[in-house]
Amino acid sequence: MTELLQQALTWQNGLIFLGWAVLFLFIVLGFVTYAIYFERKVIGWMQFRHGPTRVGPLGLLQSVADVLKLLIKEDTIPQKADRALFILAPIITFVPAFAVLAVIPYTPSLYFADLHVGLLYYAALSSLSTIGIILGGWASNNKYSLIGGMRSAAQMISYEIPLVISVVGVVMLSGGLSLRTIVEGQGNNFWEWNLLPQMIGFVVFMIAAVSELNRTPFDLPEAESELVAGYHVEYSGFRFAFFMLAEYVYVFAIASLTTVLFLGGWHPPLAILDFIPGLLWFMLKFVFVVFFLFWLRATMPRIRVDQLMSFGWKVLLPLALINIFVTAAYIELFLK
Amino acid sequence: MIRTEELLLNVGPQHPSTHGVFRIVLKLDGEIIKEATPVMGYLHRGTEKLAEQLNYTQIIPYTDRMDYVSAMTNNYVLVHAVEKMMNIEIPERAEFMRLIVMELQRVASHLVWWGTYLLDIGAMSPFLYAFRDREVIIDLFNELCGARLTYNYMRVGGVKWDAPSGWIDKVRDFIPYMRKRLKEYDKLVSGNEIFLARIKGVGIYDAQTAIAYGLSGANLRCTGVNWDLRKQEPYSLYERFDFDVPLSFNGDCYDRYRIRIEEIVQSLRILEQAVEQFPSEGETMGKVPRVIRPPAGEVYARIESPRGEIGCYIVSKGKAEPYRLKFRRPSFVNLQILPELLVGQSMTNLITILGGVDIVVGEVDC
Amino acid sequence: MKGLFKGLAVTLKAMTSKKVTYAYPDVPMQMPERFRGVQHFDPDKCIVCNACARICPTDCITLTGKPHPDPTKKGKVIDTYDINFEICILCDLCTEVCPTEAIMMTNNFELATCSRDTLFKDREWLHANDQRIRYDNISMLPKGGGKKDV
Repeated sequence: MTELLQQALTWQNGLIFLGWAVLFLFIVLGFVTYAIYFERKVIGWMQFRHGPTRVGPLGLLQSVADVLKLLIKEDTIPQKADRALFILAPIITFVPAFAVLAVIPYTPSLYFADLHVGLLYYAALSSLSTIGIILGGWASNNKYSLIGGMRSAAQMISYEIPLVISVVGVVMLSGGLSLRTIVEGQGNNFWEWNLLPQMIGFVVFMIAAVSELNRTPFDLPEAESELVAGYHVEYSGFRFAFFMLAEYVYVFAIASLTTVLFLGGWHPPLAILDFIPGLLWFMLKFVFVVFFLFWLRATMPRIRVDQLMSFGWKVLLPLALINIFVTAAYIELFLK
Repeated sequence: MIRTEELLLNVGPQHPSTHGVFRIVLKLDGEIIKEATPVMGYLHRGTEKLAEQLNYTQIIPYTDRMDYVSAMTNNYVLVHAVEKMMNIEIPERAEFMRLIVMELQRVASHLVWWGTYLLDIGAMSPFLYAFRDREVIIDLFNELCGARLTYNYMRVGGVKWDAPSGWIDKVRDFIPYMRKRLKEYDKLVSGNEIFLARIKGVGIYDAQTAIAYGLSGANLRCTGVNWDLRKQEPYSLYERFDFDVPLSFNGDCYDRYRIRIEEIVQSLRILEQAVEQFPSEGETMGKVPRVIRPPAGEVYARIESPRGEIGCYIVSKGKAEPYRLKFRRPSFVNLQILPELLVGQSMTNLITILGGVDIVVGEVDC
Repeated sequence: MKGLFKGLAVTLKAMTSKKVTYAYPDVPMQMPERFRGVQHFDPDKCIVCNACARICPTDCITLTGKPHPDPTKKGKVIDTYDINFEICILCDLCTEVCPTEAIMMTNNFELATCSRDTLFKDREWLHANDQRIRYDNISMLPKGGGKKDV
């Protein structure tokens, strides 16, 4: 893959890229399908219910049926909506979500692109999705979606900053922005991961990440009990599906990123467990992070919008900054 | 040039957090509410007018449908008013049955409130936790009178059904079960910092305002006014039991939350004593004339429903049908303070405050 | 922060606990004995006293009688008996006042149909609805003859 990327772009190479992209898209779609299923199951269990059981064995085909239903639904565009933007918004939201996955390394050999600015690429692209959400909220010409869109803009901007700053410590420790370098900088034992040395960074990162995902307790843009559904009130059918998809692809992305940055990527937690393939370790950690997100959703109430802002700027940002100074001091004192 | 505009937002009647078909028209400046106008009447069924053509037994099923979360207390207020008018003596066993079902109903009603309030705040699990435990009470009622929600259980002079065998034991078993559950609720929610930040200091009013608006129930007691009709004007058998009226003094949503949780604890206390003192034998129906014809005159009876003071005012002309029947519905009265509370609050606090008032739209619109 | 973790512990513990849902459409719901479901009507017992139609709070019962076919006997027998389940609220008052237990509650509660018209049930349908009848009809009111004035 790396060699191919360095060659000139020919038709043949282009087709190979396309093929990989399509294959990967299907893997991601499969993940999204089963993430939704898994989420409903987990939340169901936490509420003394079974979750989906009726479509297919154990309800395994429930999400498939749901997606199918969304695809054959009538596609409604409100009369007073800004048509062009209304159509464009879900695409703008979804494309960056998929594009950020390119830089994530799963094992030493399985990755798509090893950019030297991988982390920056991720942060830069993922904030583009916000534009899609604001556009969708604006173009719907609905007051609820407008408020939802505005909330989302405020929230994304406020939490993007602590998110990026919280990982600066990791970058300083590993000495590179490439995600592969960061994983390789971590060792085969769990105390050699970035998790313990970067505890503050990790906590700030997790909170900011949940907020970036618009998930409970930070699901204000789509706060069901206040804004009905927030920015996608007016969306139906496959356009709505795109918003949904983008949300779950970001779950995939954030869970992978957390694994890579803090949980040692493909490294085993103890060196003696090295015989288990790296991909499996990666998946285990990944699933744990995803489970944690669902678990939060089953437990937490929603935070209020003004509290969200003050929490982001007055707590998370200073914490992230302190983390940088502490890391810098540590590197200066002990690693020089 | 930058121009700002007020946003007119129509919340409801189809909105997830208005608990039915209630509508508020908001004038918003950003997310801050400048003016709020509640619009009621989407669930109006004319119960009071319909009652003028029905005899007293026939009105009972209609009261079930007013406050459908707490039908037993509605049943009681009507039969209580008629009994007061006709000076009917109620057998002790029947009175015990009424008291037990009313206190069970209070627990069930507060559980519904607890679950839906948390759902409004954004937590989804408490809703199902609360409904799981409410299900136990509803099953008890189902076994007692054959319906899960609209009981039609009380009659002028007594109750329709005696307790089936083993029913009282089931109530006895329910008390420790519910106490255990309350501990779980406390762990799940009461200490949750996000939840506390959402409700502490929100929707504050003082005792003066509360009395001026005629609030009752937890909405009044959260300002420190010690007013519980079970204590102040004991009806039924409440004098015989030992229980406290939970009070607090800040008048915010958190206090209302605490009071309702505490009321569940107190109801369990009453139930515990009632089950112990339950007479082993006795009639469930007093001596009532075949046709219930209260003497000409008027009567006002009031009791403490889970939502506050529910009253029934009857004007009788000596016929089998009331000349005029009026329910004082606590949800309706408590709701009147809403426009004042909402001004200057954010959109999010609207949900917190509206949920904290604890309305049932069936009762608001009657 | 402590409160948040306590809450997380509760939900995690709930994950493995017993589920409380019913498998309702697959397994029929077992309702208690006193359950008030759709009425069963026995024309042979009916003495056309009109008590049920008069007590009904929603006026959903309509009935007509005809003279007894046996001229030597007094009274009437039932001719038509209809309950409109669009407005019936299953309040149990009709069975409470019936002096001869001609109308009884059953345990059946499934009334969902695709058309409102089918909810208008006549005498034959009500008579055929004879499964799981609630015989425990003892209410607190003394049972008299047909002269009950309610």
